[in-house]
Amino acid sequence: MPRPSVTRRNFLKGTLTSLGALASPAMSGLNAAARRLTRHLPWYKQPATITYNYCDICPWRCGIIVSSVEGRVVKIDGNPNDPKSRGRLCARGQAGVSYMYDPDRLKQPLIRTGERGEGKFRTATWEEALDYTAEKLLAIKDKYGPESVAFLGHTSGDFWFTDYFAQAWGSPNASKPSMSLCTSPREEAATLTIGRAIGNHEPVDWDQARCVVLLGTHIGEDARNTMMQDLANARENGAKLIVIDPRYSSVAMKADVWLQIKPGTDTALLLAWMNVLITENLIDSDFIARWTVGFDELAAHVADKTPEWAAAITEIPADQIRATARMFGEARPASVIVPGRHVVWYGNDTQRMRAVYMVTALVGGHGRPGGQFFNKTPFLEAYPHPPFQVAGSSGGCGAAPGEESDTLSPGPTGKVRADGVRERFLRGATAMQELIEPMITGVPYPIKGLVTYGSNLLHTIPNVPRTIEALKALDFVLTIDILPQDHVAWSDVVFPEATYLERHDELWGCGHKTPYVTMREPAVPPLYDTKPGWWMARELGLRVGLDSYFAWQTAEEYIDRRLSSLGLNLTKLHEQGGVMVQKGKPYLTDFEADGTSPFGTASGKVELYSEALAAAGHAPLPDYEPTPDGPAGFFRLLYGRSPVHTFSRTQNTPALNQLMAENAVWVNDATAAELGFADGERVWLENQDGVRSGPVPVKATPRIRKDCVYMVHGFGHNTPDMKLAHGKGASDAMLQTRYALDPISGGAGMRVNFVKLVKGS
Amino acid sequence: MASRYAFSIDLDRCIGCQACVVACRTGNEVASGDAYITVSEEIRRKDNGFWGSFAHKRCFHCTEAPCVEVCPTGTLTKVNGLTAVDMAKCSACGYCTQACPFHIPHVVDNHVSKCVGCLDQVQAGEEPWCARTCPSNAIRFGEREVILAEAKAKVAKLRERYPNAQVYGETQLGGLGLLMVLLEAPGVYGLPEAPQSSATIQTWKTLVKPASAGLTALAAGVMGLAFVFARRQHAKEHAEVHTAAPVEAAVVETPAQTEENHD
Ligand code: SF4
Ligand code: SF4
Ligand code: SF4
Ligand code: SF4
Repeated sequence: MPRPSVTRRNFLKGTLTSLGALASPAMSGLNAAARRLTRHLPWYKQPATITYNYCDICPWRCGIIVSSVEGRVVKIDGNPNDPKSRGRLCARGQAGVSYMYDPDRLKQPLIRTGERGEGKFRTATWEEALDYTAEKLLAIKDKYGPESVAFLGHTSGDFWFTDYFAQAWGSPNASKPSMSLCTSPREEAATLTIGRAIGNHEPVDWDQARCVVLLGTHIGEDARNTMMQDLANARENGAKLIVIDPRYSSVAMKADVWLQIKPGTDTALLLAWMNVLITENLIDSDFIARWTVGFDELAAHVADKTPEWAAAITEIPADQIRATARMFGEARPASVIVPGRHVVWYGNDTQRMRAVYMVTALVGGHGRPGGQFFNKTPFLEAYPHPPFQVAGSSGGCGAAPGEESDTLSPGPTGKVRADGVRERFLRGATAMQELIEPMITGVPYPIKGLVTYGSNLLHTIPNVPRTIEALKALDFVLTIDILPQDHVAWSDVVFPEATYLERHDELWGCGHKTPYVTMREPAVPPLYDTKPGWWMARELGLRVGLDSYFAWQTAEEYIDRRLSSLGLNLTKLHEQGGVMVQKGKPYLTDFEADGTSPFGTASGKVELYSEALAAAGHAPLPDYEPTPDGPAGFFRLLYGRSPVHTFSRTQNTPALNQLMAENAVWVNDATAAELGFADGERVWLENQDGVRSGPVPVKATPRIRKDCVYMVHGFGHNTPDMKLAHGKGASDAMLQTRYALDPISGGAGMRVNFVKLVKGS
Repeated sequence: MASRYAFSIDLDRCIGCQACVVACRTGNEVASGDAYITVSEEIRRKDNGFWGSFAHKRCFHCTEAPCVEVCPTGTLTKVNGLTAVDMAKCSACGYCTQACPFHIPHVVDNHVSKCVGCLDQVQAGEEPWCARTCPSNAIRFGEREVILAEAKAKVAKLRERYPNAQVYGETQLGGLGLLMVLLEAPGVYGLPEAPQSSATIQTWKTLVKPASAGLTALAAGVMGLAFVFARRQHAKEHAEVHTAAPVEAAVVETPAQTEENHD
């Protein structure tokens, strides 16, 4: 029976008003429906404060406009002035409000009371936590030298610790997972081949492209906002799309051709494409003559790499290999293979990525409209700090591209990076996973202290048992984070950070077709007893004798000083809409006009044949190297992304958890039936070393090959302190007990693990 | 304000990212756990490979909207082509949930829950939240005539690749206020070719609704009976829709549940 509506409304209103009076900021995050009734007016009919920011939910860093009402963040929208967001956002960016008001956030500084790893802490004041941390870090420095403290950081605030503090302090052992656990092979291959870094924003000239190839890149599941926009527009404009993936992914639905490749055989396909392009003369001879070296060697190298040869390896029919090569060649030079982001697959990844750039070079795609354009870093002067005690080698999205790879800068006591660069791999940013061993063995020298910033070590670095052994062996661990992620339990001190919506931060200067600078300002003051990263870095710096680097009092002062080089300050940048766009230099014609070369290689050209690699004892032309198959009964473990989650960071975000609370394991349906697993049945995954994770539901589907299984990365959180994410799904990181080190870039190829399905929930 | 607005969703553009879902929830302060949009995938075997598309479940803003016809409290009304919701008036009777041929409205926290067409935004001269954020620009909003012409042009372009591509909603129920650019026949997406306002609803319109305005005991009694009848009728229609043979290819996967859409 319907009740007269007026009575019920009054009743509800009464209840909710009194609730509202008690509500803490965290509670009110849960009570959207309640607020709707209490406040009478929807948020957008009330006076809102606007602040500018860049999204920190994934590393893409879309420019955003944040609306707040009465001290509450209520809505986040894309900033139309921003070249990345162009006024639009992905699901995760839209969920930033929910991320900020997650009631499970770290709220106060913590000092460990139990054993390390037990997760027992007491709360502390900032004063005490900072003093204690400073004392511990100085003790390590005195005994072993500053190089013995490692700084592992991720997310957009990592600058203050992994770059600024680490370099001021004097540790070359600073690293970001975005390099050796993600893009290092892509960056090193680019530097070796075209003499340029790729950087944060992949320089694909979508607007004019006529043929785009996605090789193991899953736009749509990997929800980088601009890429989704560009893809949809390029298809609308008639660009052909070739998707190469062992799995029928979201973007495979959109493809003109989907090639269901056997995992680990991509380089064979690329070599066969080059064979077809050259033998059928689908190349840009003028570009090759003017802008490349080593074409003859390459032609000879691929002469026998026929589609038939590759078909036997890749399990893609030869006629499809030929047809797609023609499709690519005929669209030249408006043809491009998207470099992709997470490219640490099998350990020979730099060579594969070289082949990627070489295919684009054969059709003259580098610097040509519709191909791969040239990014330009925006002009913005550094803050005039005293010279750092060591040069940075952590790389990462915010780093200056290209420069860090070649020189090894010693720290104050003469020690260079402990990650084995030059010995076990050739070059590139500091390899995160290679810093773990020195923590255990003390070779080449002991690493005794660890500062982690926003990097979930146990869901990021392969070989989790080894990471735990290292965490046990350390003298001191400081963790800075937003959420009580699994690695937080392994800390001695925890600094709870304010989210991107509650703090100022370093400027974001993005290398781009239209380089730009954007800002971060707080929409509301920090919740709880949290603090911004810059504040923590400074307070700690003052306590360990780095006063001269922290002469600035506030982030605003630091930022204003940098912005003065553009005739701006924070207020002015805010007034002009949060973004300053500069002129780029994207095309070859821009360089031809001033007689310079865009290619920063020794030859000033695209190096198809690499003298640099030959001199270092590596293959100067990429070869297909088979990756070993798994034991009988095991499947190769592939992993990827969901459009509603970022890494292992957002599983506990209520608005996103609601859309995807756990992952599933994709298994070929025929295989699942043979093995007696039903769709939806919960299973454990057990890897080749007997490590288990799960249980997760089986997704029995014809969309995946029979020799591999697939899952979304980032699930399987252990900590009960993240209540929504706790115990949900399986962790691919746990199952990656092995990796194949890329001998060139130091990347950790993680698709060399195999799992079997085990009954039982 | 335009006289008659409409949305379109271009399923060729949509890549299933669900930004629309979250933007809608945040912008409209939708209750925790609830949503006005559900996105799922439809996958079929085709030739040697697959055919795949995303599908959206959300209000179609029917011109002759059965939900509006049965709503006894004036919560649901038609405004410039959109099916508007005045939450304050809702009695949570749930009649609309029975009347809607697309099974869209549901009752959450004693209120009807369905797309509100972002009428406040539209009246303020802004686009709805979902359309504003969609990275693929798959959701369009504007004058219905313009939106319809655009959708038809898109379908003409799509026919080469998808011979059964079509605009869904041009004429159904007086013309839907949300047009879908489908890549296949409606049945593949679980959409009725000819959604209908049922006979029950006709009875309702003439008999129950006028009576219910006074909320007399008699009317309440009649409503109770009609409600049971409506339920039965609804169940029958539901079964018919879902037993209709799927177009061409066999179903290899049912649409995923919300939680597992993109795993
Ligand atoms: S792609 Fe999405 S999560 Fe990443 S920065 Fe942009 S809006 Fe944020
Ligand atoms: S936001 Fe756009 S692309 Fe993403 S699911 Fe919604 S309609 Fe599709
Ligand atoms: S789709 Fe359903 S809820 Fe929407 S207007 Fe039509 S009948 Fe009403
Ligand atoms: S029009 Fe508004 S209420 Fe409707 S789905 Fe879009 S955002 Fe939600």
